[in-house]
Amino acid sequence: MISFLAFSFKRALEGFWRNKVMSLAATVTMILMLILISGLVIVLTGLEAGLRFVEEKVEVQAFLNDGVSAEAVNGLVADVEALPEVASVSYTSKEAGLNAFREQLAAQGKEDLTAVTGVNPIPASLNVKVKDPGVYGDVVKTLEAPRGVVDEVLETQRTADAIVNLSGVLRTIGLVIVVMVGLTVLFIVINTIRMAVMARADEIEIMRLVGASDAFIRWPFIIEGLFVGLLGGAITLGLLSLAGDPIHQVTAQITGELPIGFNEQLTQQLLAAVLGLGVVVGGIGAWISVRTYLIR
Amino acid sequence: MTSSPLRTALRSIVPTRNPIEAPPKPLASPAVVAPLESVATLGRRTAPPEDLALPEARLASLALHDVSKVYPNGKRALADVDLIVPEGDFVFLVGPSGAGKSTLIKLLIRDELPTTGSVFVAGQDVSHLRRRHVPRLRRQIGIVFQDFKLLPRKTVRENVAFALEVTGTPRRMIRSRVDSALALVGLSAQARQLPTTLSGGEMQRTAIARAMVHDPRVIIADEPTGNLDPLISWEIIQLLLRINDLGTTVLMASHNAEVVTALRKRVVALEEGRIIRDEVGGYHREY
Repeated sequence: MISFLAFSFKRALEGFWRNKVMSLAATVTMILMLILISGLVIVLTGLEAGLRFVEEKVEVQAFLNDGVSAEAVNGLVADVEALPEVASVSYTSKEAGLNAFREQLAAQGKEDLTAVTGVNPIPASLNVKVKDPGVYGDVVKTLEAPRGVVDEVLETQRTADAIVNLSGVLRTIGLVIVVMVGLTVLFIVINTIRMAVMARADEIEIMRLVGASDAFIRWPFIIEGLFVGLLGGAITLGLLSLAGDPIHQVTAQITGELPIGFNEQLTQQLLAAVLGLGVVVGGIGAWISVRTYLIR
Repeated sequence: MTSSPLRTALRSIVPTRNPIEAPPKPLASPAVVAPLESVATLGRRTAPPEDLALPEARLASLALHDVSKVYPNGKRALADVDLIVPEGDFVFLVGPSGAGKSTLIKLLIRDELPTTGSVFVAGQDVSHLRRRHVPRLRRQIGIVFQDFKLLPRKTVRENVAFALEVTGTPRRMIRSRVDSALALVGLSAQARQLPTTLSGGEMQRTAIARAMVHDPRVIIADEPTGNLDPLISWEIIQLLLRINDLGTTVLMASHNAEVVTALRKRVVALEEGRIIRDEVGGYHREY
């Protein structure tokens, strides 16, 4: 057993070094595939985070009339909070609303004209978050029920529906692209490994003729495939970590204030995915490629 | 090194086979062959397997019974071939290109399966051998080709050792076995050279050393002198004769009329997939 393992590892490394061009081709293809896929994963994670952020923003906003009593407001808040589909209700006073508006103007670099008016034009508001952005239920009806409290309910239902639809479509498209690119790349990698194996068809033939068992023929190639996968994965991770900071900056600029972070979890997942995928594709690719020469 | 201790060394490795291989089956005795034959042909053949009752069959190293081979493309390569090669024999297989020599050899090493009939090598029914038992069969056959099939990046010694390494022979046994095989073919001095630096004859001798390193019962040589000039061809033939003298059965396909005629060994002639002549001490017509 030990001599078998030693033999397999020795042959795998020998095979890798003696066919530098093919090994290099396989490794580079592997790296390209892994970069492509991790790029897709990063983009899709960003997209997913963005979509969730937007979905969370979906809320029912009710502008209150000026001068409504605190009891009336509290009563309304209690009524709305009692609804099963509501996640939370928050009250924004006129002052807080004005401040938020001013901050928004400042962030957009526009001139603040609110100081000129002398009175605060921003109404107080209730912001209702629903648990599922697609399900509103009786929220709007409940808000409009007490007379004279609510001036206007912002009709966000349609917007919310559109966003939910859009995010669903985007997720599906993303998944389809990942699967398609993944399969394409898988076949390319397998094909490259197959060429590396074919380059040594003579050797395999001799092994078969002198009575080598299938395991002795197969495992050196599989180990070589695993090695290509591992090497490709390691180089990809190196490149990604080098490119990590610039990517971060670029995405930060694009997404602006959206809280799309590349957190620890994503990094770990990516690490596992890149190495795992490389090793699995390398191993399976070699297995399939050698199989052709074994079946008789 | 002189040749006499070498011979004794070679003799001494004959009975002690590699322990991780299966224990060698007894030479095909009627007791072994008969049940195999009856199982193999049960309900398939009407003719009784009486050919195996022939005296030669008791020690048959290679045997083909009613073998025909039709390739998937419809080409009939062999038809009704019956052939028995007793243990220790030296047999020439002759015939024009396309007569079926290579197909016959492929059947013996189980590179192809017969369409009908049975093929026996060292008492084993090759045509019904399970796939995973094929490697064990191949270790009992030494195969030599016209194009040598050496690995160009390995030295002579490594090429010979390769056959042992890939069959899981323990490292400590490889060295001595390779040494005796190289000594047998007279290449001890060239052990560290790459095949590209060797002459054609030396390359073929390396291939023969590789074929002999498993201490096979049979050597099957497919046109081993096809790429060599006459003088070197004689060297190779002499080597195969010596190996035959040591007790190994040799089946050699050849086009070389001069050699075949001069040696007065058994000659089996194939034409269009049939055996048209099988004469001990036979003569080889010019094709």
